[in-house]
Amino acid sequence: MTDFITIAIPKGRILEESVTLFKKIGINCDELLSSSRKLIFENQAEKMRYMIVRATDVPTYVEYGCADLGIVGKDTLMEQEKDVYEPLDLKFGYCRMMVAEPAGLATDDDPSSWSNIRIATKYPNVTEKYFAAKGIQVEIIKLYGSIELAPLVGLSERIVDLVSTGETLKQNGLVEVETIAEITTRLIVNRASLKTKHRRITEIITGLERHV
Amino acid sequence: MRDSITIEAPIPKGVADFLPEKAAKIGYIEEKIRRVFDLWGFRRIITPMLEFQEVMALGLGEELREKTFRFDDRQSGRLMVVPPDITPQVARIVATRMRDYPLPHRIHYEGRVLRQIESQSGKSREIFQAGVELIGLDSPEADAEMVAMAIEVMKSLGLADFKLDLGHIGYFRGIMEAAGLPARTEALLREAIGKKDASAINELLEKEPVSETVKGQIAALPRLFGGREVLERAEKVATNDRSRRALENIAQVLDILDIYGVTDYLTIDLGEIRGLDYHTGLTFEGFVTGMGDAVCSGGRYDDLTEKYGFPAPATGFAFNILALLTALEKRPDVEASKTRDFLIFNLKEDRREALEITQALRRKGYSTARDIIRRDYDNSLAYARRMNILRMMVIGGDDCAPDEVYIVRVADQKGIAVKMAELLRDDFVLPV
Repeated sequence: MTDFITIAIPKGRILEESVTLFKKIGINCDELLSSSRKLIFENQAEKMRYMIVRATDVPTYVEYGCADLGIVGKDTLMEQEKDVYEPLDLKFGYCRMMVAEPAGLATDDDPSSWSNIRIATKYPNVTEKYFAAKGIQVEIIKLYGSIELAPLVGLSERIVDLVSTGETLKQNGLVEVETIAEITTRLIVNRASLKTKHRRITEIITGLERHV
Repeated sequence: MRDSITIEAPIPKGVADFLPEKAAKIGYIEEKIRRVFDLWGFRRIITPMLEFQEVMALGLGEELREKTFRFDDRQSGRLMVVPPDITPQVARIVATRMRDYPLPHRIHYEGRVLRQIESQSGKSREIFQAGVELIGLDSPEADAEMVAMAIEVMKSLGLADFKLDLGHIGYFRGIMEAAGLPARTEALLREAIGKKDASAINELLEKEPVSETVKGQIAALPRLFGGREVLERAEKVATNDRSRRALENIAQVLDILDIYGVTDYLTIDLGEIRGLDYHTGLTFEGFVTGMGDAVCSGGRYDDLTEKYGFPAPATGFAFNILALLTALEKRPDVEASKTRDFLIFNLKEDRREALEITQALRRKGYSTARDIIRRDYDNSLAYARRMNILRMMVIGGDDCAPDEVYIVRVADQKGIAVKMAELLRDDFVLPV
């Protein structure tokens, strides 16, 4: 199996965009879009293999070398800080990681005066680092979804979350106050794979680069 | 014994108990490595498990200093550490205890180091190392010797699908010196280059008032990997003296490695700058397909022994034994290292014969253990199977004549009777 290239891809929108992108460099993986429950797909002719995994697990599979390549959002990479290469910004899946709070609080709130705040988020590591760098103490409440709910029910004053259109925030009466990072989807590569399969992987990286 | 109270005796995260099956495999790998180190004329030293913090810290970069296990020494009141790296210990020993030895030093060591890790990373805090240091030589031939030796070890372990990836810290430092960026930016760039994160590099450079040429040189680093052709590309990128000297140095080392006949195992990556802080020249890491961690790493460190009062150019590397174990564990020869040859099952009242045969087999080089516990044939056989013993020898019983023993192959229970006199002859060959 060592002459195969294995790619870990999360389900959902990233999967669709990835299939489209790979098609542009002559790698056909349409079968990933079938509604099959299979988690692993193999293309003998092209010597490619695909693994469907949870987005947050992509860096782990790549770091340990179960997959040579992975496709994953920068938010996950920032949160996990795994030891992988991130040679290419695939540019799709754009959103922002930001701090938001209820509109009522925002009217006379000054971020530069924050000293001790409570934040609900899916990204405790990024949040802690971001505020530590600003010298602000934070109490972090880790949630797994529907982060926007936290300020509405008094679990926290503010949240750190991803925003693409801002519609969810608006409907829940929240406003953005600070942007932590701009997020896009990245191609990541296992360290050993880049060395031991460098020709094929370089081909894929430079090929994709022409189309992003 | 199943019924006795089970004591819950956990061990800290990031360390492990290795039971006989795994420990045997580790021993097998260590032996293979030691064999190559010996053949290349290296001599072993043994370093202590404790050092004074301020002495150890002289030879450690910031990263390893932060990962060091420290505690108070009740005897001296000083801060002590468990070494996170053996190379600075060797540097200390060479600089203080071996000053009068002629150069070069060819030293090898085996040991364990401890490093703090992030919680939940699933990584080990204890690292099993086997390494060498070649001290007193600054010639490319010394660097080539290290690389060739690492390849020889990997070949002797039966690895085929591996690469030795060469880098050179001088190339990167040359570019950064010429760029003259603030320390903070340089640190961030270092991190981004280490991850080959081209977009982060561009983002950082956008904010800096440096020329397009410099930006181009830094931005090129994450793509300067591949075969020897990388050197040509790299030469076009960087024009400063230090970077050029680094490229010349790599070229010289590659020429010598060509004589060793190992060119096919080599890759070059000039963006690989994550070596330890004390590295000054050519660095390298060994990678096996399908494994994220490097199985070995090392490089030149010309300034380290000076910190202990004895300036000498040096290079060296170490294998990560547990990484090798992961890569090799399933291989038949490694698998076989956990087996033993004979279990002696005595059905006679007298133990004399059993003990004499046991000793005779050991003299012939067969690993042999007596069952001793009184149990029946089936239970002894089950024990042999569980303990990875290949054959059971039955003494007495109905399967053979009084002057014979009965040898059973545990795997398929195929048995054969053998004359005892035959068994003890020098030219005896095992029938099963």
